[in-house]
Amino acid sequence: MNPKKALVGIAVAALSLSLVGCTVGTAAETKPKEDAAAAEPVSTFPEKPITLIVQANPGGGSDLSSRALADQLSRILDTDIIVENRPGAGGATAMEYVAGLPADGYTLGFGPVEIAMLNTTQGADVLPENYDLLGQIMLAPGVISVSADSPYQTLEDLIAAAKGQPLTVGNSGTGSIWEAAAKALAGESGAQFTNVPHEGGAPAVAAVIGGQIDAVVSGAGEAKAGNDDGTLRVLAVLHDEEHPNFPGIPTAAEAGYPLEFGGWGGIYAPAGLPTDVHATLEAAIKEAVASDEYQAFQKNAGNLVVYRNSADWTTFVNEQFTRFAELLG
Amino acid sequence: MNGFAEGMASLLDPTVGLCLLLGLGLGLLVGAFPGITATMAVALAAGFTLTLEPVQGLAVLLTIYVAANFGDRVPSILVNTPGTPASIATTFDGYPMAKQGRAGLALTISALGSAVGILASLVLFIAVAVPLATMANKLFGPAEMFALVVFGLTIMVSISSKSLLKGLLAGVFGLTLGAVGTYAITNDARFTLGLTDMRDGFSFIAVIIGLFGIGELFDQLLTYRKSKVKPISSLGRWWPNKSEVKQMGKPMLVSGAVGLGVGLVPAAGGDIAGLIGWDRARAVSKRPQDFGKGSIEGITASDTASSATLGGSLTTTMALGVPGDSVMAVMIGSMMIWGISPGPGLFTNRPDLVVSIAGIMLIATILSLGVSLVRMKGMVKLLDVPNHYLWATILIFCVIGTYATTNNLTTVIMMLAFGVVGVILKRTGFPAGPVVLGMLLGPLAEKELGRALLIAQGDFFDVVSRPLTAAMLGLALISLVVPIVGRLRARKKAAAALAALPAEREHAPTGV
Repeated sequence: MNPKKALVGIAVAALSLSLVGCTVGTAAETKPKEDAAAAEPVSTFPEKPITLIVQANPGGGSDLSSRALADQLSRILDTDIIVENRPGAGGATAMEYVAGLPADGYTLGFGPVEIAMLNTTQGADVLPENYDLLGQIMLAPGVISVSADSPYQTLEDLIAAAKGQPLTVGNSGTGSIWEAAAKALAGESGAQFTNVPHEGGAPAVAAVIGGQIDAVVSGAGEAKAGNDDGTLRVLAVLHDEEHPNFPGIPTAAEAGYPLEFGGWGGIYAPAGLPTDVHATLEAAIKEAVASDEYQAFQKNAGNLVVYRNSADWTTFVNEQFTRFAELLG
Repeated sequence: MNGFAEGMASLLDPTVGLCLLLGLGLGLLVGAFPGITATMAVALAAGFTLTLEPVQGLAVLLTIYVAANFGDRVPSILVNTPGTPASIATTFDGYPMAKQGRAGLALTISALGSAVGILASLVLFIAVAVPLATMANKLFGPAEMFALVVFGLTIMVSISSKSLLKGLLAGVFGLTLGAVGTYAITNDARFTLGLTDMRDGFSFIAVIIGLFGIGELFDQLLTYRKSKVKPISSLGRWWPNKSEVKQMGKPMLVSGAVGLGVGLVPAAGGDIAGLIGWDRARAVSKRPQDFGKGSIEGITASDTASSATLGGSLTTTMALGVPGDSVMAVMIGSMMIWGISPGPGLFTNRPDLVVSIAGIMLIATILSLGVSLVRMKGMVKLLDVPNHYLWATILIFCVIGTYATTNNLTTVIMMLAFGVVGVILKRTGFPAGPVVLGMLLGPLAEKELGRALLIAQGDFFDVVSRPLTAAMLGLALISLVVPIVGRLRARKKAAAALAALPAEREHAPTGV
């Protein structure tokens, strides 16, 4: 993310810390005064531990990001945050479960990009309006790569070849964000891709290195080791600016196709939180994301810290929802 | 050699020793706890070890990985409940041995087999990790994986110990169970009744604990008043005698090789290796008829094979950056955060770390073996507990463990339902082994074939005509036909012999 954004983020977070510290009436800052909830006397939220539901198994990217954020949230809100893993159905189990719980702010969920996809890919009852989307906390941009001994030196080469005959492009699974990215690239360029699903990003990258398939779209993290070793050639980053782990590698826009695909994640709650609770949580998440510990964690994990506030993230998720419905529907 | 010295030296740090002991305790415990797998324990520990130095953190995580591989044999042998999926095949001979009053011997042999398996696989890791992993990655595409899995499916014949027909029917039942859930290639849901909780199909953990553990429990419950089943009151001898040690040699060699090979294949782990190893050892054994009835060769084979996958998984993980199994997937996540990228580069850039990893695994194996051999005396007391207390406790453990896999009650209900299925299978003489095998391998075969067909643009002939694929499919055909023909012949012979010598028939209950 750009440094200016980060600075503003830190400044706002520091400001909100002082506000949350003395009175939790920060809602007054962002919401109109006449709002009934904001007019209430000082809220005491949170009065008890908060549960953060993670849609995947412990140890994965979603889990680690959630736990890193929970550490900071716990400090900021001065209450325990219990991280609970409810894996299953690509995340739908957890998301449907959270949607059915009371909207009191004591149950939150980690919402990865699948929150905008599961309705299309699985017909799951996961719709943006079922949730209060409190803030985006991270982004793992996608990259497209080939094996180091592949004849394709640039994205242009790959696409030119794929116009003549179909090429096999691996992804982390059918209905995944990376399959959507490959489909979008094919649609935009007129290339013929046969999308080959794998059990996660690492096996897909390995299949390219092993010569089983022609190219792969994966998260930046999964391509890092191969790129560093020289066994993988990263052709383009699907983001609007250069990725710090891949210096010198063009963005898709620079390579001629203005596509942005990333595995983003944020924190959501059941729809209909009281306004003051919503504001308290939104401010706390913003502050947690700005903390040095959280920033350092995501840097080490190879992800970018891209923060979006509740309103921006809600707009963004709705846009993504429509886009994935077009691409994967 | 500088890296070697550095790597070894970093293990001398007393804090690393502390981490090793912590991992050892945790690993043995979670291994012995049905439902709680090594993956889960490593994943949860990973949350805490991120703040440690990499070598310390790796010491905790890798030791849990190794120690759980010893701990999980204990409930398999004593109460027919696999501690983790890797010890499914251990129940085949382990539990019958325990029922015969030879639990002590089974535990010792199982620990020895596991140790040999891990140590052999570590040698492979240290010596040829990078070239081997690179070769395996090039040779083993989806088409080859498909053939390997089909070969694995032929084991159904040999684990159908009593009746071939019932065994194969059970296998088909397992394949059907495996078909439930989302088909990974198309993302289509099958037989889910529209339920979100069914989208991942039947939970494998719930099925194995239900079929083996809970099924056995229900069976005991039904026979309790008749007190037909004797509690395992004595563990018997601990140490194998000379002839028994001799019996361990051949299965160790055969199944150890199977385990090393399977370990190198990313999608296959200890559960599959245990089953294939057991089957191959049976195929070369002079006394295959004892397999599944408390055979020393059988338990040696299953445990050597499943443990020998550890080094193979470690090899693909560290040398390719591809998780060799689910524990290693978590490990990669942790290593990335420490700023270590597994892959060929790891061996050239951080040879010290590679040496440390091998060293940790080595020490963990030796410690686990030591504890396994000493600790078990306390087990006698545990088994003196009256059966109704013992099984009630096991039930509680199974429920908690299964619940912990998803934090979702549906999984527990599934486990109990499969307990009922288990007892029905048992009482009607259908073996549970083929059910598990079908459920484990069926979806894998389908997925790999689907992937191979995508890559071959739908040309089936192109898939099966790849040399390695064709060779393995040929082997599968042979290993399917030969035992069936042999069995039919043996039955004819036996029928003839039986007519002459009716008294020789043995009453042998089987645990398979």
